[in-house]
Amino acid sequence: MNNFISNHANSISKIVLLVFFSLLFILPASAQANENRPANLEIKLTLKQQQGEYHPPYVAAWLENTKRKPVRTLILWRKEPKWLKDIRRWWRNVGRKDAKLVDAVTSATHAAGTFPLSFKATNDQQQALPAGDYTLYIEVVREKGGRVLLKQAFTLDNKAQHFTLNETAETGNITFTVTP
Amino acid sequence: MNLTKSLLFFLAVAISSQASAHSRWLLPSHFTLSSEQGEWIAIDASASNEVFNVDKALSIDNMSIVMPSGKSTRPSSSYKAHRKSVADYFIKDSGTYKITNNASASYFSSYKVADKRKRARANKAELKAMIPANATGLQTTYGLTRVETYITMNNPTENYPSDGQFLELLPKTHPAEIVEHEPATFAFTYHGKVQAGVEVEIAPDGARYRNAPNVLKLTTDKNGEITFTPAQAGRYLLIAEYEQDAKNKTLADKEQGGVFLTFEAQLQ
Repeated sequence: MNNFISNHANSISKIVLLVFFSLLFILPASAQANENRPANLEIKLTLKQQQGEYHPPYVAAWLENTKRKPVRTLILWRKEPKWLKDIRRWWRNVGRKDAKLVDAVTSATHAAGTFPLSFKATNDQQQALPAGDYTLYIEVVREKGGRVLLKQAFTLDNKAQHFTLNETAETGNITFTVTP
Repeated sequence: MNLTKSLLFFLAVAISSQASAHSRWLLPSHFTLSSEQGEWIAIDASASNEVFNVDKALSIDNMSIVMPSGKSTRPSSSYKAHRKSVADYFIKDSGTYKITNNASASYFSSYKVADKRKRARANKAELKAMIPANATGLQTTYGLTRVETYITMNNPTENYPSDGQFLELLPKTHPAEIVEHEPATFAFTYHGKVQAGVEVEIAPDGARYRNAPNVLKLTTDKNGEITFTPAQAGRYLLIAEYEQDAKNKTLADKEQGGVFLTFEAQLQ
């Protein structure tokens, strides 16, 4: 019996030691993870009411880094693949190069209205984006209607930022907020 | 040679010598496609002075479509009208297609009889046998002119087949990556070697409704390259020409290569 208890005590102390040493490694790692916690990106997107024949627009919003390399597609609202090419810049720089991504981010189109959208500042692989300068692109293309390409530069550096993108023929005022 | 035949012959010769003649071009219905199942395209072929306004139908008997796999194929159907030919083709695979409408290299001669300029599709030896003794100003050119365009469905591929003959255009900027206000670069080779001094004109669509033709004139640098920045999105016809003295003067005095490339500059 005694032997049994002392054997257990021995194992327990081993476990405690193991946990203690593990913590030495885990704690700094988790502290770092906190620093890298992705910022929140909030976009209040307004698609304008239009006169006459109306087809809900195809919309893409994405982030490019300073090398103009796309790092994240935030939204893709679309129907037929054959019209994806009309979201010109997004198709050229993002969509045509990555069919899997297109499938992953696709959702249905929306008629005119205001859409509050919220994202984590991660790349397409859900990893936090490194600090630095980025550009938000929003491209709106309407069949038998117009096209607009909106862009807003911003910085990921633990500072809150707030932008208003002015009204266009296809969009109302759009607000864009970066919250660390 | 009956009248129709000689007229056609004259047209062919006239159309085949650039600069002073009509531009030849292919105009696809789409340069950029997005599709999961494939898409039909139509290609117009015409020779005209007004870029992309049809004038005289171009024969598309020699049309070749180089698929992304590198294999060549032909249009599935075609139709020749008076002012244009039309080819139909189903784009099935993702990637870049090169469409060409090239004749094989041939001889063109011109001469004067009593101050009247005449033309013949003949080399120097053949010409001597067919012209009167009082003919003057004999000139024979041996050359090849290419008429081409690129179409891309989904992801672009660098499908730039080349045969190393006469003048060839090698895109440095992919034809599916040409964007308004952004520089684009093309390289030229002559008999497979980088060629400086190639004269290039780039004509934007729509001259009928403009007072100024707005043609950009460039010459290739020592790397055989030109770089240009399209002022606006739209369709463009590039016309390149290079001429040099023939190495062997028994059959021709000059040799010449030409390229007509149709491309689009996309919206930013």
